Amino acid sequence: MQIKRPILCYITADNLCPVEQSEKALEGGARMIQLRNKGASGSDLYDWAVRIRKLCRIHEAIFIVNDRLDVALTANADGVHLGQRDLPAHLARTLLGKEKILGISVSSLAEAEIAVRAGCDYVGLGHIYPTFSKQKTGRPLGTACITEVSQNLSVPVIAIGGITASNAGDVIRAGATGIAVISTVAEAPDPRKATSDLIQNMRSCLQ
Amino acid sequence: MTKRTLPRLYMVSNSLERPYPAKELPELVRQLTAQLPVIVQLREKHLDARTLYELTLYLQSLMHDSDSLLFLNERLDITLAAGADGTHFPEKSCPIEKIRTVAPGMLLGKSTHSLQSALSAEEEGADYLIFGPIFDTPLKRRYGSPMGLEKLEKVSRNVSIPVFAIGGITPENTRQCMDHGAYGIAALSIFHVTTNLAVTLENFKNALDQ
Repeated sequence: MQIKRPILCYITADNLCPVEQSEKALEGGARMIQLRNKGASGSDLYDWAVRIRKLCRIHEAIFIVNDRLDVALTANADGVHLGQRDLPAHLARTLLGKEKILGISVSSLAEAEIAVRAGCDYVGLGHIYPTFSKQKTGRPLGTACITEVSQNLSVPVIAIGGITASNAGDVIRAGATGIAVISTVAEAPDPRKATSDLIQNMRSCLQ
Repeated sequence: MTKRTLPRLYMVSNSLERPYPAKELPELVRQLTAQLPVIVQLREKHLDARTLYELTLYLQSLMHDSDSLLFLNERLDITLAAGADGTHFPEKSCPIEKIRTVAPGMLLGKSTHSLQSALSAEEEGADYLIFGPIFDTPLKRRYGSPMGLEKLEKVSRNVSIPVFAIGGITPENTRQCMDHGAYGIAALSIFHVTTNLAVTLENFKNALDQ
């Protein structure tokens, strides 16, 4: 499965049903879903993963599990997304095999280059703008960092952190292949529309 | 990987409730596995995957020359990445047969709290079961009242895979569990509260060997 520009990756929010959230985001045009819920049991994650995987097949979207490579393997997800404190990327690549997608969270070009050498298929670069979705420390990277990383990297850069309909275009213009969002969609009164608005804004700056 | 004979003593870790987790657990594992073969299950849900992976490698190095086995709770990805021996699953988990397709040679066990779930776990292909709580224990009260020895016997008779009794197990009541069909016993608190670990282990060993 290819990560096509401009892609919107929806990351599930902890406080809502991940399956319902994913369905709305997919209906709005998301072509990548990342199941993320740090507090959930393995059993719940597995059940959600099986259901979201089916939805993603229907919508021809990529399905990724955050951190839990065990869940990604048993539920036959398309891949896994790992942070810097998760399993080492090169081991994840070995366990996943060549075909599955491996994404790594990075916050600098140096981290991104290490992730690529370890065999990742895309990097999640952030946070770009201030965000409260995941208690982030450190200053936002800004769009200049997107340009720096995407120009020096052979894999797609998916930008994350504080991305809204008003700045999604800037992120793509800076060189990102796509965006990853949680709250901009999860907390919107109409998550489908919030998703399609974001995609519209990304597309309009590519035309 | 060929399945080795499972040790009869099983230690479940839970360092979160200990004052010095980073120091206590490796020292405990070192002492346990130096004295007799033990299954050590790492159950450290508060740790991130990288820390858990590194801890697994460290414990493996301490257990290197023993016949002990190292299992992880639920995280079969970390078991695979570290080359540990097995993975243990809670009663409610992804089906064992599904896990088997991902990790064909791995030892897979399951916690069970009823005869019904013990039978299902065996049918799904579990290599062993942990059944309990047998006796009253503060840590396991959330699983309901103790099952007692009769239920242990019923489960042990109805499945053909090893059953480890858990919940309030001491060297003194270990023989009763064995007489009621248990293959071995699993414990946690006793290894921490004992004032003389070597003697406690010797007493366990005697009770298990009788």
